[in-house]
Amino acid sequence: MSEIEIELHDVRKVYYKDRIEIPVLEALDLAIAAGEFVVLMGPSGSGKSTLLHLIGGLDSPTAGSIRVGDAFLEGLSERELTSWRSRNVGFIFQMYHLVPVLTAAQNVELPLLLFKMSSAERRKRVETALRVVGLTDRMDHRPNQLSGGQEQRVAIARAIVTDPRLILADEPTGDLDLKTSEEILNLLNLLNTEFGKTIVMVTHDPRAASHGRRTLHLDKGAFQREELTPPRNREAAAMAAS
Amino acid sequence: MTITYVLMQNLKRNPLRTLLTAVAFALPMAVFVAAISLVVTFIRVAQANEKELRLGVHHRVSLTIALPAGMRRKIEAMDADGTRLRAVCGMRWFGGRVPDTQNTLTSLAADADSFPIVYSDVGMSSEESAAWQRDRTACVVGSGPAAQYGWKVGDRVVLESTVPPYLSLEFHIVKVMDQTERGNVFYFRRDYLVEAMKSGGIDDARCNIFWIKCNSVEGMRSLQKDIDAKFANSPDETKSEDENAFAANFTQGSGDIPGLMRAMAIVVLVIVALVAGNTMMMSFRERTRELAVFKAIGFQSGRIFRIVLAESVMLALIGSVAGVVPVAIGLALAPVRGLRMGPVSSLELSPTAVVVSLVIGLLVGLSAGLWPAYQALRLRTVDALRRVA
Repeated sequence: MSEIEIELHDVRKVYYKDRIEIPVLEALDLAIAAGEFVVLMGPSGSGKSTLLHLIGGLDSPTAGSIRVGDAFLEGLSERELTSWRSRNVGFIFQMYHLVPVLTAAQNVELPLLLFKMSSAERRKRVETALRVVGLTDRMDHRPNQLSGGQEQRVAIARAIVTDPRLILADEPTGDLDLKTSEEILNLLNLLNTEFGKTIVMVTHDPRAASHGRRTLHLDKGAFQREELTPPRNREAAAMAAS
Repeated sequence: MTITYVLMQNLKRNPLRTLLTAVAFALPMAVFVAAISLVVTFIRVAQANEKELRLGVHHRVSLTIALPAGMRRKIEAMDADGTRLRAVCGMRWFGGRVPDTQNTLTSLAADADSFPIVYSDVGMSSEESAAWQRDRTACVVGSGPAAQYGWKVGDRVVLESTVPPYLSLEFHIVKVMDQTERGNVFYFRRDYLVEAMKSGGIDDARCNIFWIKCNSVEGMRSLQKDIDAKFANSPDETKSEDENAFAANFTQGSGDIPGLMRAMAIVVLVIVALVAGNTMMMSFRERTRELAVFKAIGFQSGRIFRIVLAESVMLALIGSVAGVVPVAIGLALAPVRGLRMGPVSSLELSPTAVVVSLVIGLLVGLSAGLWPAYQALRLRTVDALRRVA
C-alpha cells in the first residue's frame, strides 16, 4: 500500500443560514493514498464539493482534522493555506475560468507569477504543461478562439504548471460533450498514471467515474458506499475515448 | 508576463466601457486643471500683493462713496517722520471703456507724484517715469487690454467713462505692464481727470480709495488701526485693509471666483469618483468568479486587493492624463488672454495645477477602487466558486 497522502479524521462541516445550522458533512473519515485517482459522487447537496474544498484548503472544517502530505490544514491561517495551495494543489473547475484577455500560454503562466522564477524558466514550464495537454499549437490563442474542450485543457495545464502533488477537479467534464469529456478524462488518467498525481474528482456522471480507481458515494454528508473500478474497466473506458 | 501586463489587458476586457470611463475622467479633469490653474493664479496674485505692503483706505460703507482729496494730507500727517509710510496715492474710479466696445476696463486715475512710489512694482523705468510726470495725459496700461486692442507705448487711445460725469478722454501710453496681477488695469493721472471735470463744470477732486505704501508689516498694521480710529464717527469713516484682503473682498463682491472654481472642482471630482467607482464595481462583479479562481490558485487576498485597486488607479490615471495633458499643452502654447476675473487677466499653464490635477486623479482612482478592492479582499473563495456550480 502506498503512503497515505490525504487523511481526514472525524471531519464535520456546518453552514449557518439565518442562524439556522445546516450540517453538510458528518463525522467523515477518509484516507487517500499518494497517486490515487478518487472520484466523489452523489446527488446535489450531498457535500461532495464541500469535501473537495476542504481537501484543497479553500474552506475550513467545523471540527475534525485534515492532513494533506505533511500539512495539517485546520491549523493553518488563511494566508498560510493560500500559500500552501499555490505549491501543492492544482484546481480544475467545470467552467474553466480562464482570463479572457490573456492567451492560453499567459493563462497557464498565471500561477507561476507567485514564484520567484526567471521568465525563461516560466516559459519552459508553460510549454511543458501545454505539451502535456496537447495544446502547443494553441499557445497564443485567446479563450474565445478555443473550443470548450481546449479551454478545459488550458485549465488543466494551468493546474499542473506548478507541478502540484494533488489535483482537485470539480465536475471537469460537466460542460463538455461526450467525446470531449472522454479526452479530458484520459488526460486526467495520464496525469495520474504517468505523472503520479493524486487526483480527487467530483462528478455526477458514472461514465466519468469509471476513469477513477475508487469511487466514493456521498449522500447527506456521509459516505454511503465505496466502489473500486477494476483495471480492465478503466482501460476500456480509456480505449472507448481514444 | 507581469501583473502590470495582466492589469493592462484587463482594461481591454470591455474596451468601450474603458473608453467611456476614461473620457468621463478626461473631460472633467480638463476643466479641473483649468479651474485649478485659475485658482493658482489668484493665489499668486494675492501673494504678490501681500509683498507690496500696500494699505487701502476707502469709505467704511462702500468703495463707491468717495472720500475728500484732503484726506491724503491728513494721513501723511499721521506719520510725519515717515517711519511707517512712504507715500500715499489717491485714486478715483473712471470706469472707462474703448469707444464702441462693451468691456469696461479697471481704469483708475492716480496721483501723479506718488503713483510711481506706491506702485513701484509696476517697474517704471526713469524714462517712463519722466514721461508720466511730464505728460498730463500719460497712462500705464495692462498687458490684457494692450494685447486685446493692439496698443503699444506711444499710442494715443481714447476711453469714455461709463460712470458720471461720462467724460471721453484721450491718453498717451507711456508703459505697458507685463505683470499678470495687473493685466486688466489702466492707470492715468488724477490731475488730468480733475481738470477735465472742472472744464465741464464739475468741481470734484474726491477719491474712491487711498493706497498707502508702508515700510513694514508692523507699520502697516498699526497705521490700519490708527487711520480707522482717526476717522471714526466722522462723515468719512474709513475702512483700511491690506491689498490682499481688499482684492479678496473686491473679487468676492464680483462673485468669489476662486470659491466658485473650488466648488466646481469638488463637484467635478465627486462626479468623476462616482462614475469610476460604478465602473470598477461593475468590473469587479463581472469578475468575482475569476478573482475567486485567482485566490484558489494561490493569490493572497492582499494581492487581489492591490490588483483591483491598481486597475482603478490605472484607469483614473489614463483618464486624467488624457484630460490634463492636452489642456496643459494648449495653455503652454496659447495662454488665454483678456479674462476679466478680478485682478486676473490671463490663464496660463500652471505646473502646480498640472501636478495637483494628476495627484487628485490618482486619489480619485484610489477612492473609486477602494470599495471594490475591499469586496475582493473579503471575497470568500468557496462562496464565489459555488455561484458557478
